[in-house]
Amino acid sequence: MANPMEQFAIEPIGAPMAAGGFDLSFTNSALWMVIALVTISAFLFIGTARPQLVPGRAQAAVEYLYEFIRSMVRENVGPEGMRYAPLIFALFIFVLVCNLLGLIPFVGAFTPTSHIAVTFGLAAIVFVLVVIVGFARHGLHFFSLFLPEGTPIFVAPLVAGIEFVSFLSRPFTLAIRLFANMTAGHVLLKVFGGFVVALGSFEALPYVFGLVPLGVNIALTALELLIAVVQAYVFALLASIYLNDAVNLH
Amino acid sequence: MPQFDQASWVPQLFWLGLVFAILYFAVVRPTLPKVGRVIDEREGRVAGDLDAAEAAKGEADAIRDRYDHGMADARRTAQADVVAAREAAARAVEARMRDLGGRLDAEAADAAARLDAARSAAREGLAATAADLTVDAVRRLIGIEPAPAQVEAALAVQK
Repeated sequence: MANPMEQFAIEPIGAPMAAGGFDLSFTNSALWMVIALVTISAFLFIGTARPQLVPGRAQAAVEYLYEFIRSMVRENVGPEGMRYAPLIFALFIFVLVCNLLGLIPFVGAFTPTSHIAVTFGLAAIVFVLVVIVGFARHGLHFFSLFLPEGTPIFVAPLVAGIEFVSFLSRPFTLAIRLFANMTAGHVLLKVFGGFVVALGSFEALPYVFGLVPLGVNIALTALELLIAVVQAYVFALLASIYLNDAVNLH
Repeated sequence: MPQFDQASWVPQLFWLGLVFAILYFAVVRPTLPKVGRVIDEREGRVAGDLDAAEAAKGEADAIRDRYDHGMADARRTAQADVVAAREAAARAVEARMRDLGGRLDAEAADAAARLDAARSAAREGLAATAADLTVDAVRRLIGIEPAPAQVEAALAVQK
């Protein structure tokens, strides 16, 4: 049976590139990020080519997704946060499209969001944004985020410490949640795919036993589609909740 | 696990940064606010239309109120007119009845007077005839001509 981890291998495509001692080679991960970029560009440029008051199909699709993110930001951050809605939208649609493209069978799809480096990079964008917005809006008062109002003074150092650690751990939990979900899903699909081959190649009754894990894999694919969407939503939701701290403190 | 191969982190982060920067600055920023503006414009339009509809409804209600009031006023006026006309007609009929009654009474009284006159005239004519007959009869019976005073006295006794 093929190693289920093999699918996550990063393979360079074309000549290795480097700059300043850093390896910047174009890889299968980069390729699928570019494919995601092209897909999203097509979706957005076609949908907003001629914006009309009564939208066509393409515009309605873009509006639906954007309105979904806008209402999420409006509920979690408030009107002050609406200017960050395009950034949250970019994070959401990038994660969503990477997740979904990675599920396409037969084309050798790679899921960039199954790598901790990518998910951490995205989480770092959120973290840096929160810190910059927080200090820009509240200055040093932003540190009051670590001391919730009404904390008794004798537990203040403890609470501040816990809050600080929790604040610092956010990018890691954000990154690991997405990476772990994607990796686990693809491992599961690969394992059951291996079962299909192993059980289906019985000499006596070829194919028959392979049908059971194949059915499981079909069901798992549906589940993974759901998880791909849900994880993109969770990522965007948590990003707006963290942004709320920066915009409104507590 | 290839995910923990740290050598692959730098190229991934580099391409992520490049792709995401293009996505945000060259794709999302130029396109999405257009849709946002259209959504806002549509919401404004719908809200404006709703306000206009509300105003038109208020106006229609006011017109209906005015119409109802006008109808009620007209009905009241018409009823008063009907009552007045009925009373006037009743008064006129009464006056004419009274008038007619008076005339008929007068005519009846007149007729009664004429009847009395005729009756008394007839009675007097009868007395004269009786006197003539009496004189005539006396003359034929006993051949004397009675004095008219005697005849009248005799007839007055008979009466």
